[in-house]
Amino acid sequence: MTENEKRKKSKGKEISRGEAGGEENFGNTTTVELSREVFAGSVPAAQRAYFEIVGPHGKGKIVELGTEDIILGRSPECQVRLTPKNVSRNHARVFFRNEEYHIEDLNSTNGVYVNGIKVEKCVLRDNDQIEIGGVKILFNEERTLQKNETSK
Amino acid sequence: MKPPNETKTLITFWGTRGSISTPGRTTEKYGGNTPCVTVTHADTSIILDAGTGIRNLGIDLVENSGSGNSPLSLHLFLSHTHWDHIQGLPFFQPAYIRDTQLTIYGSPRKERFLDSVLEDQMDYEYFPIAMSALTAEISIHEISEEIIQVGPVVIDWQEQIYHPGGSVRYGLNINGKRIVYATDVELDKIFKVNPKNEETEALSEEYLSFISNADLLIADGQYTEEEYTIKIGWGHSSIPVVIDTAKQAGVKRLAIFHHDPQHSDSFLDDMWMKNRSGSHSKGHHMELFWAREGMTLSI
Repeated sequence: MTENEKRKKSKGKEISRGEAGGEENFGNTTTVELSREVFAGSVPAAQRAYFEIVGPHGKGKIVELGTEDIILGRSPECQVRLTPKNVSRNHARVFFRNEEYHIEDLNSTNGVYVNGIKVEKCVLRDNDQIEIGGVKILFNEERTLQKNETSK
Repeated sequence: MKPPNETKTLITFWGTRGSISTPGRTTEKYGGNTPCVTVTHADTSIILDAGTGIRNLGIDLVENSGSGNSPLSLHLFLSHTHWDHIQGLPFFQPAYIRDTQLTIYGSPRKERFLDSVLEDQMDYEYFPIAMSALTAEISIHEISEEIIQVGPVVIDWQEQIYHPGGSVRYGLNINGKRIVYATDVELDKIFKVNPKNEETEALSEEYLSFISNADLLIADGQYTEEEYTIKIGWGHSSIPVVIDTAKQAGVKRLAIFHHDPQHSDSFLDDMWMKNRSGSHSKGHHMELFWAREGMTLSI
């Protein structure tokens, strides 16, 4: 069968919905046909966010953020404990609201800085640099494909 | 921890973009909503402009005003009535709540009354709900007095002529601190003209005196120096002029505001890198930053 004949033949081929998709090989080109369900199986995007302690204390530590509030501070009860004396016991809160992370100063002595600006509260964006009592923290956010539970 | 009884004055940016809203991934850091800023001190809330950013403010106000709380009392000061400064008003949820008291202030020197300008925005041809359907108690006030007092906040104002149709700048004085909101003005026409004439001399002095020693200046810095050369007469300032004049006037913190719709986050980051050294001078350090949606500062 010539390449042209193969193409003509494949035109009329029916792909049933819900099927895992067909594959045809035309010389150097491969066409992959996906059903909507298979395609949608890897949507929506999941959001993952991290704090990376840049230093000077706790350098390299990575904390994955969830949807629960976390407190950063010197107190042993804090979810992210930062020990330098310039950090207040309960220094800042990070919370997830409207699918965004926010940081809020908890009336700390030395304040919360985002990219060098002293803030009371701020929405966090990828690569924001936070400073708390001299500790530098990098905020990283990534969007990944999340497997839809109904897909196989 | 600091003493808990200290009442802070909080400034929140709900919209920082100029001219038109710019949603999308390239603008999510500095924001895509058009101008809206709040200044709050205890129970007093001042809103500056009603660009598209006021929609999120409205949602926040409604979410945080529980059923047991007293009705909202809000004071909205408009710099002028170009679309980007009023377009969010029909989407401002508290305006649809019966007990809300909303006072809207604006320039008295317009050819048309402020209330008719705002009403026309909600004409049936443009929007399905008429302004008369807003159930809040709304009063529209063309400013006649020199000073307006709202709770502990004392507000002074001046007309700005170098913007098509004019605009108003506001000074907010609270507990010995001063915040100036001066957007939509072409400072280059006042400070960069050569030779200066009597009018520009007077306007320079007036502006410098208004922003003198401000703890925070929120100022229109829409263009780069290069962009300005092809946008003369459009009513916006170039960034270096805003920085130079703020520094000259002893401003402590300068928030560059009303970002150009074409300026992406990375472009604005680069602009900060290029201009940050200009904020230092002998004996005076001015904190310079680009206003960012979703950011709350205190003074």
